[in-house]
Amino acid sequence: MVEFSPELLETIIRAAALIGAGLALIAGIGPGIGQGFAAGKAVESVARQPEARGLITTTMLVGQAVSESTGIYAFVFALILLFFIIL
Amino acid sequence: MHYFYLAQFDIEAQAGPKALFEIFGIPVNDTTVIGYAITIGLIIFARIVTSNLQVIPGRLQSAVEILLEAIVNTTEGMMSGGGRKLLPFIGTIALFIGISNIIGILPLVKNPTADLNMTLAFGLSVFVFSNAYAIKVKGFWPYLKGFAEPMIFILPINILGELAKPISHSFRLFGNVFGGSVLIALAAYFVPGILPVPLMAWFDIFIGLVQALIFTMLAIAYISIASE
Repeated sequence: MVEFSPELLETIIRAAALIGAGLALIAGIGPGIGQGFAAGKAVESVARQPEARGLITTTMLVGQAVSESTGIYAFVFALILLFFIIL
Repeated sequence: MHYFYLAQFDIEAQAGPKALFEIFGIPVNDTTVIGYAITIGLIIFARIVTSNLQVIPGRLQSAVEILLEAIVNTTEGMMSGGGRKLLPFIGTIALFIGISNIIGILPLVKNPTADLNMTLAFGLSVFVFSNAYAIKVKGFWPYLKGFAEPMIFILPINILGELAKPISHSFRLFGNVFGGSVLIALAAYFVPGILPVPLMAWFDIFIGLVQALIFTMLAIAYISIASE
């Protein structure tokens, strides 16, 4: 059994929190792909039906904002790891 | 500490409620103060608008009527017959959260919705309201039986899904507003003066209004799903 000094333990915890914050932001891939997909489909719909532009834009924004939430959760946890565990 | 460079800038000002003063030993946060200020402002605004109602509306009255009709029509579209009935609840949520999200553009004012306590309170009130409304509409036993649909094995999953609703509902709003304010603070720390202004326009006005709309529409959707 190896005994660590408290300073070393604190450093390890901080390093792990920083790595975890970086890893948490991998979750940004999902909403990026999803939002791009929604925007592409909206462009297709506007090209097919230009008169429904306003409705399509509103629906796209609402759907994107809902699908963004997974990325936002990851962002919140990354911020918690960065600022609350390190401080 | 020099190697935690980011931690030097004033993140404490962004994160969490800050006790301003105490009343009878109870700390009063800035979130509470700004929330009450918004509430009082809304009440005064409503008094001013309704003090002089005309059959042929003036400018202010037509603007408020358009806003209320939009809320009623959105509710009516997602849940027929609920437009006027749910207007006090849904309209309160829409107005209060909309103003809370865009008030951060004023200097020295923190968004009340950048505090998890505020958004969680709204999420829990929507949760309680939707379940109470479902009990009132369907009756107590059909409401309980609704959790065991379509099979009895689904019961724990349904209960967990119901309990996850207020959490995801409130974390979505909190994360968007808080993340925006942190990004604005970071931009103001690294590129002061130039970068924060368009970021504030984007996060406080556009994202704030979109998120208020999302929160309101999800509240309507939760109520309408629960009472179906």
